[in-house]
Amino acid sequence: MNRESIVTAVNESLVDGFEIPPEKLTPNATLFEDLELDSLDAVDMMVYLEEKLSIKVDANEFKDVRSLEQVYDLVQKMSSNLEH
Amino acid sequence: MKVVITGVGAMSSIGNDGNEIFENLSENRSNVQFYPAWTDANGLKSHLGAPVKDYDNKVIPRNVRRSMSRMSEMAFLATVDALKMANIEIEKDHSYDRTLICMGSTTGSPETLMKYYRKYIENNGPQGQLSTSFFKVMNHSVPANVALGLGFSGPMISPSSACSTSSQTIALAYELIRAGVYDVAITGGADELDVTSAAIFDVALAASTSFNNSPEKAPRPFDKDRDGLVVSEGAGIVVLESEEHAKKRGVGILGEICGAAYHCDGTHMSQPKVSSMAHTMKRALFIGDVSPEEINYVNAHATATTFGDIEESLAIESVFGSKTPTSSLKGHFGHSLAACGALEIISGLEMMSHETLIPTRNLDQPDPKCGSTNLIQKPIGSPLNFMISNNFAFGGMNTSIVLGKYK
Repeated sequence: MNRESIVTAVNESLVDGFEIPPEKLTPNATLFEDLELDSLDAVDMMVYLEEKLSIKVDANEFKDVRSLEQVYDLVQKMSSNLEH
Repeated sequence: MKVVITGVGAMSSIGNDGNEIFENLSENRSNVQFYPAWTDANGLKSHLGAPVKDYDNKVIPRNVRRSMSRMSEMAFLATVDALKMANIEIEKDHSYDRTLICMGSTTGSPETLMKYYRKYIENNGPQGQLSTSFFKVMNHSVPANVALGLGFSGPMISPSSACSTSSQTIALAYELIRAGVYDVAITGGADELDVTSAAIFDVALAASTSFNNSPEKAPRPFDKDRDGLVVSEGAGIVVLESEEHAKKRGVGILGEICGAAYHCDGTHMSQPKVSSMAHTMKRALFIGDVSPEEINYVNAHATATTFGDIEESLAIESVFGSKTPTSSLKGHFGHSLAACGALEIISGLEMMSHETLIPTRNLDQPDPKCGSTNLIQKPIGSPLNFMISNNFAFGGMNTSIVLGKYK
């Protein structure tokens, strides 16, 4: 899965699942401050991403994610793990 | 100490405020519909439901709405209306000690419960579950979500007794205010329409099954052709307050809770007992120091079940004789389960202010087995100083509330 399709899929999850305005979805946006998500949202975000992208997200690694860019990175890593 | 009503809020199949509800009651309307999808439920014979009309849940902020099922959304919106009417503004970051939230539902969200366990079984474990699901299915989901939405920090309790839930919340809060524990109580109940609700009554042979092709003819409380209830949904919220506190605030008073009783009969889970129902009504009258002769109207629970309507009617006859006008509003609302008691109190307040008693919808030919109770079939213009409202639930739970015009 290429970077562009990952960005699109993650952003769609945030718009559809969490009603975040698309204009707020910049790579540097922080999940908890800029996007106003919290720990419950983070758990649900993992579920959305797992279902949407058919990947398995490591909850321990996801706990350290702070920015949207880091979400893209983690999803890319998880999807490439699957491809190998 | 008098306990008065200073605000009400409603979401129901026939209206989302007192005025709209009274208009539809007066025009003899219902919103009972046929649900084609329910015909796919194996073994289900009742395919009728009475939904609340569409509402905009997006007015509730997402971070609050995410843990709300439909029943909590409706309860929250009705609470906002009730507090506005009562001129009460909940201040965030303020710790309330003398304001109570007392609300409940039959269970947590049946829709979410079904989704949760379906996925759990499919995945053989919790894989893929949303973190917010539990907050929709826990038994105190309705008041917890209402409190969260309001930013309310204070006492909260969640009574649950199926169809008598909201009347029980009113009765409990009435007692607590009278005892001087609280000045204000935000009471009521909510339930959401779901095929599994219909199934519960269908299995117990208590749901309407003969009118799937003519929804407007069901349910038919007290009618000789009744064949069971029609499930509905909604939220009814009633703000109770000590008279002294309401007067000090200078807020308008809509009515008075004069007495309330909640007794279980301890003899059968689903078959009501005449003597227990009658005793509950008498107890509410005794507590309120109101005589049966002073009651101008009986608002019956009567859901249109074959057995329950007869038993209730005979109980009413044994307490009030054959003259006191009596009707059930289930023919209009359907059976909104945990919400019905509060919605019927709200309807009673409307009847009081309009001095009009609403007859039972679809009562064409009263069942002779219901005895000689005065089951009204036409609207009656009448001063309404005192009424009694009954709600009876599975589990042998009986509640009666005496509502008075405030003087």
